[in-house]
Amino acid sequence: MLQRVYDILFEFREYAILAGLVILSLILLALNDNPQVKRVRAVTSVVFGVVQEQVNFIPSYFGLRAENELLRRMNVDLADEAYRLREAKLENLRLHGLIGLKDHATHRLIAANVVGKNLTLLRNTLTLDIGSQDGVEERMPVVTDAGLVGLVVAVSAHYAVVNILLNTDFRASAKVQRSRVDGIVAWDGKSLILKNVPKSRDVKPGDVVITSEYSDMFPDDVRIGVVSDVRDRPSSMFKSITIAPSVDFVRLEEVFVVEYRSDAERQLLEQKAPAGVH
Amino acid sequence: MERALQSAAIIVVLLLVQTTFIPLISLGGFLPDLLMIWLVVVALQRGQIEATVTGFAAGLLQDLVATKFLGLAALSKTIAAFVLGYFYNENMVEQTLGSYRFVMLVALGSFLHDLVFFLVFLQGTEQPIFFLSIELSAGMALYTAVIAVLPMFAFSRRYNTSWAR
Repeated sequence: MLQRVYDILFEFREYAILAGLVILSLILLALNDNPQVKRVRAVTSVVFGVVQEQVNFIPSYFGLRAENELLRRMNVDLADEAYRLREAKLENLRLHGLIGLKDHATHRLIAANVVGKNLTLLRNTLTLDIGSQDGVEERMPVVTDAGLVGLVVAVSAHYAVVNILLNTDFRASAKVQRSRVDGIVAWDGKSLILKNVPKSRDVKPGDVVITSEYSDMFPDDVRIGVVSDVRDRPSSMFKSITIAPSVDFVRLEEVFVVEYRSDAERQLLEQKAPAGVH
Repeated sequence: MERALQSAAIIVVLLLVQTTFIPLISLGGFLPDLLMIWLVVVALQRGQIEATVTGFAAGLLQDLVATKFLGLAALSKTIAAFVLGYFYNENMVEQTLGSYRFVMLVALGSFLHDLVFFLVFLQGTEQPIFFLSIELSAGMALYTAVIAVLPMFAFSRRYNTSWAR
């Protein structure tokens, strides 16, 4: 390769020498700082500018390569920034909703982060990063701005375990907001259902289901979900009602524990009843 | 090496004469260029490459001593010497040096040199640069060619050639 270059230079040595000496002369000329050189520089700049403008459409391989690398790096930075902004926005939206809930709550709310989830079993639970030292007690309801999450079933000093709606041990007295039809919300292992609603009662898909005032465990009028399917089973006197929970348990990150204590006298009385309905 | 030193010595001497005595024979501001005459001799005797390098060296020395415009005479003389190199013919050296062709080549070289020189030198003036450069170059070339008649006769006598052929 080097030999080839040398051969070409040797073959055209007259021109190579001329080019070298002319370039050297021009460099020496450029060292001058008199008006003539300034004028030549100005003219040269204009000429080069015009030529460059005309040949600018020709892509430079090395320029493109460097530009490509720069753009890729910028893309990574911007993607990272966009991801962080999206996270911040989502967190902001979640917190905004929770603040709204807190403003309108009639009971004191204790904010908590979900630090553990068990959503694959029949008895699905959450673990919160607050405990008895924060004022959390067993049997306190847990909510978000979207609706009911579940019930605290175990508390340590710094953590609390929550039975969520999607737990076969969970029961809540509920009613259909529109028609005021009562029932019991439960998890059958596959779907969230509204039990004990006679066939004659008015329940339609799209109806909102909320906690009932009959419950001594939950404050009333907390949203549970929306009726997604209503069927009449021939062999039963009750409707088969499926509910879509308002809370997205998969994406749940922040919740509130409601400092809601049931009436002890009523609770004592109801414990004597055979069905474990809260 | 010896030839380079000889060439350097000649350039220095010619430059001394150019800057001291030649201004005394100025005609209307026009001066003959002795270095240019020497470059034609080099181009005809030694070829294009040596002429180009000699032109650059002579021009650079001239810039340092006389023009105070670093690089301008070097550029002009490099280009002129390169063009003159095309007229090199090792079989015709003596005939060319001792004939009117030598004078014509001096005129051509001088004109080219001065044209490049003045096209740059006159930049920034209010004058019509191109036409003024041609006018000045033609004047300089004519005067230098007239002076070149003297060495032509010398070569003609030395090589025993007819200057008219």
